[in-house]
Amino acid sequence: MIQYAAIILFVFGLYGLFTNKNVIKMIISLNVMEVGLNIFIISIGFNSDPNSIAPIISSTNQLSSVFVDPLPQALVLTAIVIGVGTTALGLAIAKNIYKTYNTFELDEMEESA
Amino acid sequence: MSAILLIAVPLLAAFLSIMMKKLSSYVLLAVGIFNVVLLLILPDGFVRIGEFNQPLGINLLLDTYSRIALLLLNSLILVITYLNLKSYKTYGTILLLALAGLNGLVLTNDLFNFFVFLEISGIAAYLITTSNKKPRSTFHYLMLGAVGSSLFLFGVIILYAMYGTLNMVGMIRLIQANGNYKEVILPFTLMFIGLGVEAKLLPFNSWVKGVLGNSNTLSGPMIASVYAGSMSFVLGRLITNLFDFQGSLLTVVTIILAVGILAGDLMAFASTKTREILLFSSVAQASIIALLFVNGIIIWAVYLIIANALSKTVMFLVINKATKDIGSDESQDLRGLFIKNILVGVTFTLATLSVMGLPLLVGFKIKLAFLTGLADANHIWLIAIILIASVIEGIYFVRLLVKLWYKGDKEINVSYNFSFKTVFVIIALALLVFGTYSTPLSYLDNSIDTVMEEVNNG
Amino acid sequence: MKNIFGFLISVTLGVFIILALANTDAFPEFGSANTDNRVSSQYLIEDNVNDIGSGNIVTAIVVGYRGFDTLGEVTVLFISALGVAFMLSSPKQERLDLKFRPNFMLRVGSKILFGIILVTSFYIILHGHLTPGGGFPGGAIIASSVLLLYLADDKFRSNIKSFKILEGVAGSLFVIIGLLGLVLATYFLQNFLPAGNIGELLSAGIIPIIYILIGLKVGSEIAGIVDNFLTEEESA
Repeated sequence: MIQYAAIILFVFGLYGLFTNKNVIKMIISLNVMEVGLNIFIISIGFNSDPNSIAPIISSTNQLSSVFVDPLPQALVLTAIVIGVGTTALGLAIAKNIYKTYNTFELDEMEESA
Repeated sequence: MSAILLIAVPLLAAFLSIMMKKLSSYVLLAVGIFNVVLLLILPDGFVRIGEFNQPLGINLLLDTYSRIALLLLNSLILVITYLNLKSYKTYGTILLLALAGLNGLVLTNDLFNFFVFLEISGIAAYLITTSNKKPRSTFHYLMLGAVGSSLFLFGVIILYAMYGTLNMVGMIRLIQANGNYKEVILPFTLMFIGLGVEAKLLPFNSWVKGVLGNSNTLSGPMIASVYAGSMSFVLGRLITNLFDFQGSLLTVVTIILAVGILAGDLMAFASTKTREILLFSSVAQASIIALLFVNGIIIWAVYLIIANALSKTVMFLVINKATKDIGSDESQDLRGLFIKNILVGVTFTLATLSVMGLPLLVGFKIKLAFLTGLADANHIWLIAIILIASVIEGIYFVRLLVKLWYKGDKEINVSYNFSFKTVFVIIALALLVFGTYSTPLSYLDNSIDTVMEEVNNG
Repeated sequence: MKNIFGFLISVTLGVFIILALANTDAFPEFGSANTDNRVSSQYLIEDNVNDIGSGNIVTAIVVGYRGFDTLGEVTVLFISALGVAFMLSSPKQERLDLKFRPNFMLRVGSKILFGIILVTSFYIILHGHLTPGGGFPGGAIIASSVLLLYLADDKFRSNIKSFKILEGVAGSLFVIIGLLGLVLATYFLQNFLPAGNIGELLSAGIIPIIYILIGLKVGSEIAGIVDNFLTEEESA
């Protein structure tokens, strides 16, 4: 089931965040975790009835059809954009780290005063 | 005049201020004053956004609890900006966005909106900490904050899937009607962990040492008093109304918080750097506040938040300014700081004594009241832990004060300008006045948080 | 040692979540989401749909019912772009020297593609209330067209000042539309333009206007972030 896959992705991302020492790899693990979370959110709204369609009313879809839940899709839009913002900020801090310490590995950075 | 202006006006000012960067700090001062004045005249109640009714749209709730929190936040941000006007001019837009985010966090009544404002305030905090020029600590804070918010969102989504609404009042009604407590343990745990990262509760606060241990006059008071205060306020509102800790979850949470109090004070005892002593003491106080909320002693927890926020502002401002001038924050190097700055020394001492809980200061009245409250509920071992922690706290604070008052080997020359001293004197006087004449404190009681009333009456 | 600790914590969390969700009656099985006992049932009744006027119900939620969340999300992107510019910019800048020189076909061909991509993005933004899409994907496509120009030509720099002004103006207009709702009607972000018929381009009140503003804002912000990453201090 896709919800299991989403939770496993989330756990992978969390594991990667704990065990990696390279700044760029930590940012990528954070992204994997957020992808898992977003898939889980979308899967909440799914309706496996074969007649259910996307919630768009047009000349071919009438209001009386069975729709999937539109609210989780709206929440995921916001969550994706917030993830993008956090990643951009993380990469900018990574560039600053490289300028200060000349390496991306957290182990090799000596504690400069 | 509606409460939405408290959030919309700082946002508008922030969007406009990137086109005129030089004036951003003055715009921030004007918006801060506008917000404080607005808070004094707004009526209580729900504020709808758009014309949609409660479950369809989003709404904000302004009651006495939020009003106290908002007054504290807005005035502290105003004061801190005014004191840092010359040295940190470029941070005006970021502080405006932090103001909007924290106001929204305290006011909102909708769980997903809470998550969005939590992210806004979080990102503003990461940017404020870049003023420390330590990119490694900022990165650590960013990673932990992002994990915390993701866990919080996970919990909110599970609650939506189970109950079908995102409105806080509606959800509490549905949870009470359902009555099966075991089903909500998972989302509540995830949400508590998510907020615990920002509120400095124990296992999740490894970012505090890096960020506050290298702080300066802008980031120190902002993170340690403004952010800590607002996160404690919203954590308290969620704990009292939404999370209904029972049974084994209650035991686990109480143990985590109690361990947090002891560990915070022990780490402060073991440290010799002044900023670390102050930040570990903040960690311990945050755990005490959370513990009081879990046990339902709402009003004294609120007073403790206010007293802590005010005292820590004074303490962090004094030490950060001294550290900037001298270049190090080892308590050895700061010996004799107050010999030439007697007024500052007296106010710092009063703030410290209030945190420790000595008589004549408001800290004592608050401590007495909440210990009585805990005793009424028969939590004897919690009282014992808090008393042991207070003893340790007393030892390290007195040790610090002795070092700062008595002369060391070298002469120290730190000067505080007039505006700093005015702020210190006002806060110290407030702590002293409410300590001796404390009858106004008993005008408010546990009913300042009206969410449960709305749930039952609506 | 730290690896084992991390592994145990993550696996425990995953197992805890899966077991707790499987044993909860109130959590619906995958694929059996019943919108009748959720808030979404009210979004789908005919009166509310005609009131808002948008054919795409997800857009009606994002910009109409929960427009305040969208304002918050736009603010998150704003503050991230601001933060990146804050940390990475310096007064005099030039392009990062990547030691490759693109050939003639790449430089000219990308300019043609730029026009096509820009038209696609405007189409997606304008039809946000009729088809899937809207301001956010459209803005991201605008930014990707700018990124194409950056990658294809190593001397290209866009006009950063104008992007910043566009960003500020679009954001302020969004909040001002909300405040106009407060002044002209009674609530913040209330729809004060007529809702029209579902399915026409000029329908759904303030929703297309807000989506255009969001699309421009997102596009200019991400283009600004791209520029900040691909430039560095002037060396001499």
